[in-house]
Amino acid sequence: MLRVKAGDLDRMGLLFERHHRSLYGFLFHMTYQREASEDMVQNVFYKMLKYRHTFTGQGEFVAWMFQIARNTLKDQAKKNKNKIQQLSAEEMEDKLPGGTSADEQLEKKQDKAALYKAMASLSEDHREVLTLNRLQELKYHEIGQILGISEVAAKTRAFRAMQELKSIYSKMER
Amino acid sequence: MMCEQYEDQLIGLLNNELTPAEQAELEKHLAKCPGCSGELAGLREVWEMMAELETPEPSAHMRVKFQAMLDTYKESVEDAKPGVWSSIREQFGRIWQLQTRWPLAYSMVIILVGFGLGYLLFSSGKGGEQEQQLKALSSQVHELKQTMMLALLENPSASERIRGVSYTSEIKHADKEVIDALLATLNNDPNVNVRLSTLDALSHLANHPEVREGLIRSIEKQDSPIMQLAIADVMLKLQERRSVKSFEDLLKQKNLNPGVRDKIKQTITQLI
Repeated sequence: MLRVKAGDLDRMGLLFERHHRSLYGFLFHMTYQREASEDMVQNVFYKMLKYRHTFTGQGEFVAWMFQIARNTLKDQAKKNKNKIQQLSAEEMEDKLPGGTSADEQLEKKQDKAALYKAMASLSEDHREVLTLNRLQELKYHEIGQILGISEVAAKTRAFRAMQELKSIYSKMER
Repeated sequence: MMCEQYEDQLIGLLNNELTPAEQAELEKHLAKCPGCSGELAGLREVWEMMAELETPEPSAHMRVKFQAMLDTYKESVEDAKPGVWSSIREQFGRIWQLQTRWPLAYSMVIILVGFGLGYLLFSSGKGGEQEQQLKALSSQVHELKQTMMLALLENPSASERIRGVSYTSEIKHADKEVIDALLATLNNDPNVNVRLSTLDALSHLANHPEVREGLIRSIEKQDSPIMQLAIADVMLKLQERRSVKSFEDLLKQKNLNPGVRDKIKQTITQLI
């Protein structure tokens, strides 16, 4: 990123290849909207180009990128507050790839759909921390940087989020 | 119920972020605390399941869009560069216009005066130098000509001596040396033609008082009738009244040519 900052804009292509999937994954799990997430990924990369001079090189690039992604997400949420539509569990089920045997497949599908739903019903803070932690596999010091909290606070929040997810999921299974 | 102080350790364990020492300590605790181990089991189940949560693949379209965005951005950055320059130029222009006209005119006058003074100083300095060089050069040429003339007057050939005499017309400021040489030639040269030429040359230098005196003294020294007639004409031309006495002395010579005698009488009457 420092090279991009120095004017080597072609380096941005490399950063895109390296990070666009995790960025897209984060945005998707925060919104459950594919197209909007793609647009936001585009938006994040544009902002990184435009505000490349604000990247100091202190702290990590990934943290900086997710900070911009969070801001983009907030802007997006403000823009179409009413439009937010979440996929129903059934819709999610349809989109999930199948397993091996028919029974197993069905069971797994149902479990996954339940977990999806549980995730979707988490508070945004908790969903955010779990998405970063579990799905994007970021370390707690990185998550702390992104969310603007300490590493310990990030751990605590992640633990509380896991507890909440577990309780919602176990209620659904019953 | 689980022990609150182990929350961080449990989440650390799920993330595989614990050091071996921390992990050993936690396992020791879990072995004797059913609350914590139960919680961990439940969390681990969900944790493992979450790995199955899939994220749809972003469409290939996204990469194309990104590349297009990057290209447009690069172009816009390149376009912006001359834009920056033109805006700077605009700013300068505005500052320029903000200046009131009088100070501007004043500074322009100062510049012009400075330029003019510089030019005058420079050109006069250089011109003086050139003039000096030219003077030195022309004086050298002058000297050369004088030396040549004097040398030619010593030449045994009459025609060369005439040539030497003719050089005096080119010498603007004949000095004493030249005049003396010419007068000596006028009085002593054996060839009458040389003496005639010398007389002609000296008549052009008549504004020098020593030339006039020399010419008057020369009257009685001339014995050739042609020279006597010629010198009488020169004296008439110069309206030299001091020559009358010399002519009267000449008239006293008994062997004077009758033609010359008439001419001299005529000249004397014209001069008086």
